[in-house]
Amino acid sequence: MRGSDLLALAKDVLATAGEPDAEIYVRSRSRGVARFAMSALGQHMQIEESEAVVRVAKGTRLAEARTSSLDPASILEAISNAARVAAIAPEVAGFPGFASRDDGANFVSKEDAPPRRASSTANATADDRVALLAPALARVKQKGFTSAGVLETSAGAVAVATTKGCERSHEDTMASYRVWALETAGAGGASGFGSSMHRDLGKVAIDDETDRAISRCELGRNPRAQDAGTYDVVFEPAAVCELLEWLGMIAFGASDVEQGTSALAGRIGEKITGDLVDIRENPVDPSDLGFGAPFDREGTLRREIPIIEDGVARNILTDRTYAAKRGEKSTGSSVLSLLGGADLAAVALHMKGGSAASVEELVSGMKRGLYVCRLHYVNGMLEPRRAVMTGLTRDGCYWVEDGKISHAVGNMRFTDSILEGFGRIDAMTSSRRAIPTWWSPAGAYVAPAIRIRQFRFNGKSQMPPSLT
Amino acid sequence: MPATLAKLKSDARVRYAEVRFVEDRTEKLRLRDGRVERATTGNARGVAIRVLGPKTWGFSCTSDLAEAAIQRAADRAVETACASSAIVANAVVLPERDAERGTYATKVEIDPTSISLETKLAELDRATRALKKGGPKIRSAEAWMDWARVRKHLLTTDGCDVAQDFTYGGCGMHVYAVGDDGRAQRRSYPTWGGGDGFQAGYERIALLDLVGNAPRVIDEAIALLDAPECPSGARDLILESSQMGLQIHESCGHPTELDRALGTEISLAGGSFMQPNLLGKLRYGSGMVDLVADATSPGGMGSFGWDDEGTPGGKHALVREGSFVDYLSSRESAQALGKKSTGTMRAEGWNRTPIIRMTNVSLEPRRGSLDDLVADTKDGVLMATDKSWSIDDQRLNFQFSCEIAWEIKNGKRTRILRDPFYTGITPEFWRSCDAVCGPEEWKLWGVQNCGKGDPMQVMQVGHGASPARFKAVTIGSSGRA
Repeated sequence: MRGSDLLALAKDVLATAGEPDAEIYVRSRSRGVARFAMSALGQHMQIEESEAVVRVAKGTRLAEARTSSLDPASILEAISNAARVAAIAPEVAGFPGFASRDDGANFVSKEDAPPRRASSTANATADDRVALLAPALARVKQKGFTSAGVLETSAGAVAVATTKGCERSHEDTMASYRVWALETAGAGGASGFGSSMHRDLGKVAIDDETDRAISRCELGRNPRAQDAGTYDVVFEPAAVCELLEWLGMIAFGASDVEQGTSALAGRIGEKITGDLVDIRENPVDPSDLGFGAPFDREGTLRREIPIIEDGVARNILTDRTYAAKRGEKSTGSSVLSLLGGADLAAVALHMKGGSAASVEELVSGMKRGLYVCRLHYVNGMLEPRRAVMTGLTRDGCYWVEDGKISHAVGNMRFTDSILEGFGRIDAMTSSRRAIPTWWSPAGAYVAPAIRIRQFRFNGKSQMPPSLT
Repeated sequence: MPATLAKLKSDARVRYAEVRFVEDRTEKLRLRDGRVERATTGNARGVAIRVLGPKTWGFSCTSDLAEAAIQRAADRAVETACASSAIVANAVVLPERDAERGTYATKVEIDPTSISLETKLAELDRATRALKKGGPKIRSAEAWMDWARVRKHLLTTDGCDVAQDFTYGGCGMHVYAVGDDGRAQRRSYPTWGGGDGFQAGYERIALLDLVGNAPRVIDEAIALLDAPECPSGARDLILESSQMGLQIHESCGHPTELDRALGTEISLAGGSFMQPNLLGKLRYGSGMVDLVADATSPGGMGSFGWDDEGTPGGKHALVREGSFVDYLSSRESAQALGKKSTGTMRAEGWNRTPIIRMTNVSLEPRRGSLDDLVADTKDGVLMATDKSWSIDDQRLNFQFSCEIAWEIKNGKRTRILRDPFYTGITPEFWRSCDAVCGPEEWKLWGVQNCGKGDPMQVMQVGHGASPARFKAVTIGSSGRA
């Protein structure tokens, strides 16, 4: 469905329901997902998803109901359910009501909205995806490796309407390619990774990223064991984005600040990390690195929000309720809950780059240390107040000696405070990459490659000497 | 659905197909400090179609239940299967089987839909009010309750016709205490993050006694603020039951998924060190370690009558007296090893294809109580309640932190220790297991949010365990990181 259709549906249902204080967020997405593994295309899915999420308020009592069906009767039933629950729910302190016509100009795909849609992606077929993948799989096989990965083309639309006259709609497309070249199919060994994403399928760098995966896999052969220790490290953008995702989850939301667990709680205006660190939420970036809708699920128009500037904590992310409680304007960070978790999230974190011309320049400035392509299974719940995280390297961890990559090492585990670690960043690349978030079909974070001095690696992954 | 199935059956390009109706009605309630964080009802329903085309699979789905819409979804599934088959060398082979027919339903004493929302909200409100009695150091108190009623009806072209009706629930609470130094400590009951899920009715809520457990939760949270850090080094480690559930989940459940071992989950989750050539040979754990996948465990979140391929749920040993003996598998993956499916293919909902998932992967009990085990430990640490979890893509190197630990000296629990974590290599860790408590300490936990697949799917799984002891494990404190 198009955004204008969704908005018309939402407005019609609101008018029919007659509920005086209500909000409808409605979305639909068509996702073509070609997932390959063991050098074969084994899962190919055409997923048609839709959802309407309604909220009804009775004063400051608030309830939500969801339905996967977009027929008016189902949405009306959801409104009725939400109204029933809202009538008996405890009050939400500080709830300022739903967005109104006065909360920014209403628009339907206006020209000033950031570019997010390309017909090449919206019109891609199963045959198109197969045609693009066939040479990539062949290329990996030709090099003697096993391929795995996914090519997804998706087109979606969202709309928000409230009984106070807020009306928004938006459309986007996303083409995303992730590829692995593997020494073995699933048993470990060397692996290389590549990824590319763009709203326009024609601009997804399938060949280049397949070659990147192959070259990284070749470089990863015959790894040597490296002892745990404190090392200088270069993280590629994919690894940095994994850390940013966790920072977003544990530190940047008003909910975490309120419960006292956020590293930013009580520290706005204070220096919390290194001078080079600039992190901002930027769902309205008009460049090719920009992804995300220009408004949130409450209809709040999004804008660029500096969170950390020159190492100083500047802002946290809010929805309308948290913003009202803080006497601020909402940052447009209300999202549909993920995995039952928070309803506040950063959707497009951007980390500013530095001045290094290339990752080679970062490496050349290291006497010895580690070069890390990706991270795996990072967790930031150890001590959120200090943003202590642990995780492992994946798909490429190399030893650097005298300014050059020397050899592959086995996967390493790190445990360190990320804000303190970011305080030891002494160089970053000027170029940045967009990395898809694993939890959103249309979201991405953006980061440069970074060099951190004296990062703590406290373990390594290894097979025991004897398995039998 | 039957008309669509009949059409698929007559399509020469289709060698096998599944048509699966799913309806998922949910209710999620969450209070924080007496106010509503979430009061959400949901109704997701639709039809999933998976077809095996000339060589490989295709999938599509629709939330429109009109027969014409279902037929269009079937057409899309066939299109994707045929498109993929053009570049697949080896055709997927499925073994023949007997057609399964029947019904399954959760045993429910009190239907949660018969309990008013006022009653449920009042239960949570009482819990958060009890937790807030802890004083100013208790920065926030939260309690939640989730319910889901899931109906599934699976029809396949080889004659399966199974209908299932599940009732899932979960309930718990936690506090955050913040000390004068600004550091925060969390304490949860009965465990963190909805980890005490179950397949049963409202009768389970009364057994939890949230209010009755609030004083202990408060006391422990406040005690953690000033507790010494967990020491570093090698110690004998006792894990309480819920942490054992997490340990089993990450270091046994996931690595015994055959799709991971074969390499079909690389694009999200990774592979597995438990490779097929190690079946029957790998010394996974000590002789104390018997791990089973049991889809028949009463009340388990991972229990069902049939998986989403129509394979009956059963009980299968994964590790027997320390030896690796079998996988969690599907029809296709098991066939690759010349074995039969252990019946673990499940999909999150109507818009996802089934993948291999854990059922209830549990550690069989041995004997003795937790008190006996503590009394038998000269110098060790007891850790409880999952706080953070991380493990590598082969499921070897893990590091888990817990909310709380107790020092054990000469057979007695002494002081509380804060920010504890432990780390190890999976088979070395399980080989160091020298004691597992008995049936009286065994509890079946339910995980509501196990993530896997691409696109991501979230699944309910179960883990039963008694407390167990592991020798000379590397422990430490995240406060020193």
